Amino acid sequence: MMSMDTFMAVATGGLVLGAIYALMAAGLAAVWTTLGIFNFAHGAFIALGAYLGWQIAATQGAGLGLVAGTLGAVLVMFAFGILVHMALVRPFERRADIVTASVITTLAGAAIIESAINLIWGPRSRQMPQLVRGEVDLGLLRIPQSDLVLIVVVACVLAALGWFLGRTRAGRAMRAVSQNRQAAELMGLDVPKLYALAFGISAALAGLAGIFVGGLRFMTPTMGTDPLMKALIVVILGGIARFTSPIYAAFLVGMVESFSNYHVGLYWTPAVLFALMIVVLFLKPSGLFSHHQRTL
Amino acid sequence: MRYDPPFHRTNGLIPALIALAGLIVLPFVFEASYIRHLLILAFVFGIVAASWDLSLGFGGLFNFAHVALFAVGIYTYAILAKTLGVNPWLAVLAAGPVSVLVATLIALPVLRLDGIYVILVTIAFSQLVYQIIISQSGVTGGTSGMVTLPPLRIGDYRLTSDGRMGYYYVALALLVAACAFLHLLIRSRLGRAIIAMRDAKYLGIARGVPEARTRALTLAASGLFTGLAGGFYASYVRVASPDIFGLGSLTLVLSILLVGGLGTIWGPVMAAFVIILLSEAMSDLGPWRDILIAMLIIAVMVFYPGGLWGVVQEVREAVATTLAGLRARWRRQTGRAAREARMGAPEQMILTRHGRVAVSETGGKGPAILAIHGNSACKEAFCRQFAALRETHRLIAFDLPGHGVSDNADPEEAYNVPAYADVAEDVLAALGIETPVILGWSLGGYVGLELAARAPDRYAGLAITGTAPLNIVPDDFARGYDASSHLVLAGKQYFTSAEQHAYASSATAPLAPDSAFMHRNINRTDGRTRYYMITRLGVVDWPRQMRMLREGSVPFAVLNGADDPFLDHAYIRSLGYGRIWTGAPHDIAQGQHAPFFNRPEAFNLAFTTFMDWARSAARPDVRASA
Repeated sequence: MMSMDTFMAVATGGLVLGAIYALMAAGLAAVWTTLGIFNFAHGAFIALGAYLGWQIAATQGAGLGLVAGTLGAVLVMFAFGILVHMALVRPFERRADIVTASVITTLAGAAIIESAINLIWGPRSRQMPQLVRGEVDLGLLRIPQSDLVLIVVVACVLAALGWFLGRTRAGRAMRAVSQNRQAAELMGLDVPKLYALAFGISAALAGLAGIFVGGLRFMTPTMGTDPLMKALIVVILGGIARFTSPIYAAFLVGMVESFSNYHVGLYWTPAVLFALMIVVLFLKPSGLFSHHQRTL
Repeated sequence: MRYDPPFHRTNGLIPALIALAGLIVLPFVFEASYIRHLLILAFVFGIVAASWDLSLGFGGLFNFAHVALFAVGIYTYAILAKTLGVNPWLAVLAAGPVSVLVATLIALPVLRLDGIYVILVTIAFSQLVYQIIISQSGVTGGTSGMVTLPPLRIGDYRLTSDGRMGYYYVALALLVAACAFLHLLIRSRLGRAIIAMRDAKYLGIARGVPEARTRALTLAASGLFTGLAGGFYASYVRVASPDIFGLGSLTLVLSILLVGGLGTIWGPVMAAFVIILLSEAMSDLGPWRDILIAMLIIAVMVFYPGGLWGVVQEVREAVATTLAGLRARWRRQTGRAAREARMGAPEQMILTRHGRVAVSETGGKGPAILAIHGNSACKEAFCRQFAALRETHRLIAFDLPGHGVSDNADPEEAYNVPAYADVAEDVLAALGIETPVILGWSLGGYVGLELAARAPDRYAGLAITGTAPLNIVPDDFARGYDASSHLVLAGKQYFTSAEQHAYASSATAPLAPDSAFMHRNINRTDGRTRYYMITRLGVVDWPRQMRMLREGSVPFAVLNGADDPFLDHAYIRSLGYGRIWTGAPHDIAQGQHAPFFNRPEAFNLAFTTFMDWARSAARPDVRASA
């Protein structure tokens, strides 16, 4: 039996992991639902976002502080995502084998990005500067301030994303495209532009996730691989029926991972998550939270 | 119906033997052991990529864990040979079955999944294998891996001695075995099921192909030589490292597969040499090497999805087409006298919409007959009609574009039935012939039907032989013809000499002194005419032809050989004909697919009787009283 303190600490860890996975999974799902492809460069986007943020924020770089670094990284990643869409996905848009082709090209894109990071910043691991230090006492639990900031920021960003998709014209257009591309095109929506927008948003979310991952662990060019794998499991678990379903799944996976790390050990946690994924795939292949039509 | 000759009877045999012989003597030509090292790597990664081709290219299943299967082979060897002290040879052999086992495990969760889910589950599986390997450091050495694995040896002879000579030949033998295995598998019943599940999944399931079993077997089979190659690779480099799971080796194998060409087997084997040499040449570039290889992958995907194998096919087509064109030009000069003697008529070249064609015309004032030959034949097929009827008729025959001594033409434009009809119209216009009777044989029969359907008033009659009129294509194609290998050959671009002989024998006449010219003619035919003729069946307005026949707007005769091995006579009789000679299709007793050549007397009698009938039928007063 674990003590209350330990339990709360493990749960907080799960919450933090869940928040990061939610950011990543929301980004992956934005591309998956609209374009119907899986972006394997998403992990590399995380790394690139982290390094860009570091370059702007850290004292060894421009030294402008973490807030400026985060904003800068998110903006640059948005533009970069659109660029990647043009270069790696657009050429196959009308081809029958777009799924396979885009998997291959985004994978190659990931290799290029990782090698480029290696060239520019070197293979040595780096540390992201922290915005806040110390712990905050919430009565029942004491959590690091940085974790609290992380959770609050992620909650705000996801809420903003929900508002964008549900209330704004562009967000609704994106949902329309993901439901039925042809009908959306016939209604006069500019589908290529919306695809590019989806990719841009996805990359921006990845950039933000990168900043957070960089704050939790050391930064390396391959730092995105592990979060990408987890986000992949999240997306399979939750399904992509609605934009919220991978988010629920992300917190579920975060909690499972955190508790499994504590009880089963670090090495067998991937097996636990994998087993969970396989069970869900057998019982409910379209995801745990999928009784709605897919709408993003 | 299936036409699938064994490998030793295909055109691939000789190039494959030459390549193999080259690889066997290569170590004696280049004595540097570094070259052998690179080739060994190329063999190993060629096997891995070609095996991946089975699931990805042929099966359409993106098994992301394929490189993990290779790693499983490596670690199987490492654990068996080093930790457990098993004989290294047995350890290599065991690596294959172990990989098959793991591949089957991978297959289980993806049996019922589709598309992107297959990719995601296999990538997760691959990560799982990786995590297990680095977590069990007591067995696998964890992140630092296992080193100084025992090498292969025969008795006291180490395979690394003599500049890795032993390893070179073992690797080559493994490559040959892998290619043979994959080739046989693709040609087997399972292989056809694998391809069917990729191309027409639901049709395949409806025809009884078990989806789950096919998928499981695909992945298991792709694991066999991948595991063997892994075991062999571990015995060669003597290191088992978890680095193999990295993006680098994945992109390396993927680039071999893509640059070679998906769904080809041979493409990845060839590309392995290119990519390994390229990768080795760039080894000093550090991260730039990965960037360049990744860019190569993207460039191939975007600009040339066919890969290296596509280039080989294009070169082959260019060579075959040029050869056929040169043969035509050569024969136009040298064989002209013989052809004119055979036909008893002068030969001339006429420029048409689709290039220059060779035309034989007897001249004279008799009723005109335009004879149109069949697939991969030539105008001289009608020599027995020319000989018998030239006193009383004006006979015209021409070589279709890409056939006989006519020029090759643009395949996209010229090698289809409507284009052949254009050519026939141009020939008639150039010679100033009005209202001829058309005699169309096989493919020429379709050309005749097309001509008559376009302008019924311009022809005094139409006789087809060896042709089944079609209404709905391709459905009626299956009804009009008996399925046979001949039918497959009719659309096959490249013939082996055995296939040339088989096709000429069944389509015209068995090889004899008087039919030898038609056998010789086949290798002049532009192979693209066959391929495009079959694939462009859809451009013909078939219902218009059928309407013309039903309405009887042209006096019509069907003069088939009674023993034609390809036609379904019942189908041809079942069609509705508005105005047909003798009221039904007329069979030439003992006639084959070319009855005018096999049974010229009976055919000519029937044909001239038909023409007399057609002339009387064409007279307005007769038509009115009928």
